[in-house]
Amino acid sequence: MPAHSLRLRTGTLPRYRPPEPDDASTGIPVCRLYYKPMVNEAFIPAVLSLGTLALALGVIIYFVSRKFHVAEDPMVTIINGVLPGVNCGACGYPSCNQFAEELVRTRDTSMTCPVGGSDLAAKLGDSLGIEMAEPKPVVCAVLCQGSDNVAKPSAEYVGIQDCWAATQAFAGPKLCRHSCIGLGSCIAWCDFNAMRIENGLIVIDSDLCTGCGACIPACPTGVLVMQDKKADRIFIACNSHDRGADTKRACDAGCIACQKCVKECPEQAIVIEDFVARIIQEKCTSCGKCIEVCPTKVNCIVRLNDTVKSKQAS
Amino acid sequence: MKTFTVGGIHPPEHKLTASKAIEAMPIPAEIAVSMNQHLGKPAKPVVKVGDEVKKGQLIGEADGFISANVHAGTSGKVKAVKSAPHPGGNYSMTVIITTDGKDEWLEGCNTPAIDPTSLSKEEILRKIKDAGVVGMGGAGFPTSVKLSPPKDKPVDTIILNGAECEPFLTADHRLMLESPEGIVKGLLIITSLFEGKAKPFIGVESNKPDAVLALQKAAAGKGIEIVTLETKYPQGAEKQLINAITGRTIEEGQLPFDKGCLVQNIGTALAVYEAVCLNRPLVERIVTVSGMEIKSAKNIKAVIGTRFSDIAAFAGSMSEKTNQVITGGPMMGRSQFTLDVPVTKTTSGILFINNTMLTGSRERTCIRCGKCTSGCPQSLEPWLLATEAEFRRLDDAETYGLMNCTECGSCSYQCPSGRELVHWIKYAKALRNNRRQRKTA
Ligand code: SF4
Ligand code: SF4
Ligand code: SF4
Ligand code: SF4
Repeated sequence: MPAHSLRLRTGTLPRYRPPEPDDASTGIPVCRLYYKPMVNEAFIPAVLSLGTLALALGVIIYFVSRKFHVAEDPMVTIINGVLPGVNCGACGYPSCNQFAEELVRTRDTSMTCPVGGSDLAAKLGDSLGIEMAEPKPVVCAVLCQGSDNVAKPSAEYVGIQDCWAATQAFAGPKLCRHSCIGLGSCIAWCDFNAMRIENGLIVIDSDLCTGCGACIPACPTGVLVMQDKKADRIFIACNSHDRGADTKRACDAGCIACQKCVKECPEQAIVIEDFVARIIQEKCTSCGKCIEVCPTKVNCIVRLNDTVKSKQAS
Repeated sequence: MKTFTVGGIHPPEHKLTASKAIEAMPIPAEIAVSMNQHLGKPAKPVVKVGDEVKKGQLIGEADGFISANVHAGTSGKVKAVKSAPHPGGNYSMTVIITTDGKDEWLEGCNTPAIDPTSLSKEEILRKIKDAGVVGMGGAGFPTSVKLSPPKDKPVDTIILNGAECEPFLTADHRLMLESPEGIVKGLLIITSLFEGKAKPFIGVESNKPDAVLALQKAAAGKGIEIVTLETKYPQGAEKQLINAITGRTIEEGQLPFDKGCLVQNIGTALAVYEAVCLNRPLVERIVTVSGMEIKSAKNIKAVIGTRFSDIAAFAGSMSEKTNQVITGGPMMGRSQFTLDVPVTKTTSGILFINNTMLTGSRERTCIRCGKCTSGCPQSLEPWLLATEAEFRRLDDAETYGLMNCTECGSCSYQCPSGRELVHWIKYAKALRNNRRQRKTA
């Protein structure tokens, strides 16, 4: 059967049995002869050899796994069931499973999963019979308000639509080189669907953001930072380290380092670092006095819920 | 005719300015001298606002071993020291000088020619370093560092790069025609540093027969071999030039020293001669101003720090249709985001073009035609690297030779699908470097 075996290998095996051809009318009796013996003869050795091989390997695997069996702590399975299972790495371990193993082994109460928050900490504590520390809820915030109608453009960018790719060509499509480039390199890193681009600016949904921090190293300009998750938390949404005049030229929402907020703050919670104001979170009481004095056209001092929530609603 | 063995392409030459003699550009009212005109650490500004400076005065001091001095290109007053746009695509610390039109040299600069043989090797190297000479072909590697290779890597071949394989550019071509003696003298100074153990070559592409003749005349009887190379892109890339002239191949991770070679640009040789014999720091260079959208394309001698906007005005303004301004050649150059950027030591050309690709179709999928692979002078598979980059498989990209890519752009030029191959490769390199930095931090 040399001719048959050739066709088999190219995968032209018929999947259905054609009606019996009328030998007398066509005069070609080949078809019937062709199918039948091929199925029988070609399959038997293949099924036998591969089947035997599979069986032999199966037996070997069975004994090997018996011999090298490692008893897994049933606790790890339980903890794994409680953890979110997204493997985001926010806890400092590469996967949820490794976090679970480490937790069960050390019973370290200071280990926290920022994604699960305090609910999860309680559940973990219950399962292990210990008191787990509560993670401080944090959320990702954007130190830039340079959306398309606020930040001045520098040049049109037509290359690969990715922030890192854009930085290979120039400082970015906005005149301010410290701004959010707005091509969304960070979005792919967010496991929780919390990021999107609106008007050329990244927007974070604070309800969905778990504070895992996976997006932060993905940003070439470093406008993503962690903030305590408090609705009235105040921060300065600007990343421009250029001098005031340059910042003003580039963006309506840029901190011009005028010091007004520094002088106004009753708690001395604001400092100017490298031409941009920063609020010291521990000192700030969220009184909001600084917001009133900031002279920029689009106020660069914002409350967390103003940036993150309102944009989500719009 | 000699050429490199692997890959290569033949883009249209567009040498519009090949027959235009170099014109000295009048000094503009303001120049912006960047502190970052070389590879390595930017120079440290040593002048303050309000200081009077003379032409050739040191205004930026080399900061570290791989760094270079920067000098004022003309006399005037320092207006500002601030971060300003840089043709590399970003911003850099820049000394802005309001010129006074007198163009006075600092005392001790621009002296009558002295005999280089009267100087010791160390003196020559120190003079080159003080004058801030860097590779003028594009990379801007500090020349004094390049001329002091490690002791265990003997150099036996010195190559001057006069290939100028990029379309449009004619700066080196004009220099070879107009100052062949200076180039030859510079090459002889460089050769003298290797105590007769190294043989000097000058490689010129075959589309510049007049330059070959001029150099042959100037170099007669001086032991320099002028090699005519096939006109093929990227003939002037360091690795390809070495391969064409000596037949040696620089492997991944190797430097030319590892194969006993040293490559310098034509312009660098002239700068070496001027620095050593005439005490002239590197303050001006030849720039090709060309492209279809500029009224009078020409070769100019511009003071380093001259802004592109002034140059565009000098060359008769650009047309309305200009949608891309490139520094360097069209293959490896960079698109600019503003005309406020200044000429630096490595600006070989400024091109004003109407790039229809910019307004036209987007990138399509790879059809595996293999054109990029056949054009790649580094034996890479650009389509594969680009695909790995697109899916952020950086480790895989690295195994396929990501870091061996010289970013010559042959692949992108060839691709019928409009794939942004070099851009993907640069993207992968950027991500890889970011990841490394974070790991070590
Ligand atoms: S936050 Fe950073 S990574 Fe995200 S879109 Fe803006 S620049 Fe790009
Ligand atoms: S008042 Fe506004 S612009 Fe002025 S320093 Fe404070 S945040 Fe910046
Ligand atoms: S840019 Fe890189 S991959 Fe493309 S042809 Fe040149 S060396 Fe090869
Ligand atoms: S030239 Fe373009 S289409 Fe052809 S193989 Fe390379 S990437 Fe694919």
